Amino acid sequence: MAISLDRSIVGVEFDRTVCEPVTETEIRTYSAISGDPLPPSPGGGALVAAPTFVVSVRGKKFMPPKLPNLGAAGFDAGKDIEFGEPIHPGDVLTVVSTVHDVYEKTGRSGTMAFLVLRAVITNQRGDQVAVIDQKMMFR
Amino acid sequence: MAHPIGFTDLDVGHEFPRLQLTLSSEQVQQYALAAHMPGGRFMSDAAAQREGLPGQIVPGNLSMALFARLIAEALPAGVLRRLNATFRALVRPGQVLVVHGVVTEKHCTEAGESVECDLVLESAEGDRLVTGTATVRLSGESPTAR
Repeated sequence: MAISLDRSIVGVEFDRTVCEPVTETEIRTYSAISGDPLPPSPGGGALVAAPTFVVSVRGKKFMPPKLPNLGAAGFDAGKDIEFGEPIHPGDVLTVVSTVHDVYEKTGRSGTMAFLVLRAVITNQRGDQVAVIDQKMMFR
Repeated sequence: MAHPIGFTDLDVGHEFPRLQLTLSSEQVQQYALAAHMPGGRFMSDAAAQREGLPGQIVPGNLSMALFARLIAEALPAGVLRRLNATFRALVRPGQVLVVHGVVTEKHCTEAGESVECDLVLESAEGDRLVTGTATVRLSGESPTAR
């Protein structure tokens, strides 16, 4: 099946969410359930979230509203996280989501389309907490 | 008592102690809720089968958390700067999982010292389900050598 790739969506911001303040309970629960341990608090100061806690910080819209015809089923193909400032209880995080890339690849199982969604997460001081690129595969 | 491993203790080819574990269906459900991933595929076999999957699956984010745990346990003085994963096959609750990693590069720059690692989450049969890479910032010397 031919996949139509409309690259006009690349760079389009499709969500901007200001989240509720992060709580100590959320940080501790995530760490306990995931097994990703809490890092030491510098100087015995404020609690620091486990690095992958950042994946639980989500915008309101997961996908752009107007997707090109990429294929029937979408699968999570991979993720790249660049970590910035640590997350502490009380932080108010903002998630800005954009379409970072869309491209086609042909392999043994046929032609697949890849959509890369980028979430840039900042805290209340404007410091970058993480950049998360999520690669979705369609066939 | 062994000291935490520092940059000077590591060589390319250093292998991290392996993790072997099995995630239960309940653990996967709890993770999906804690990580705000309410998709049916993470909650039950029946819901996953309605989405065309063979049964409940482990979120990719939880596989990444296992990579982060491997690094935290092997390099407790390290700070994770980047984590990448490619989800190659479905990971299922109840499956025996083995997580391992190896140092592939060492870098010493003005920005600090860091190592690059290759990471693998595989089945007990050796099928590579998730592969990844990480960048970990480390202090120059092991703490007892300072």
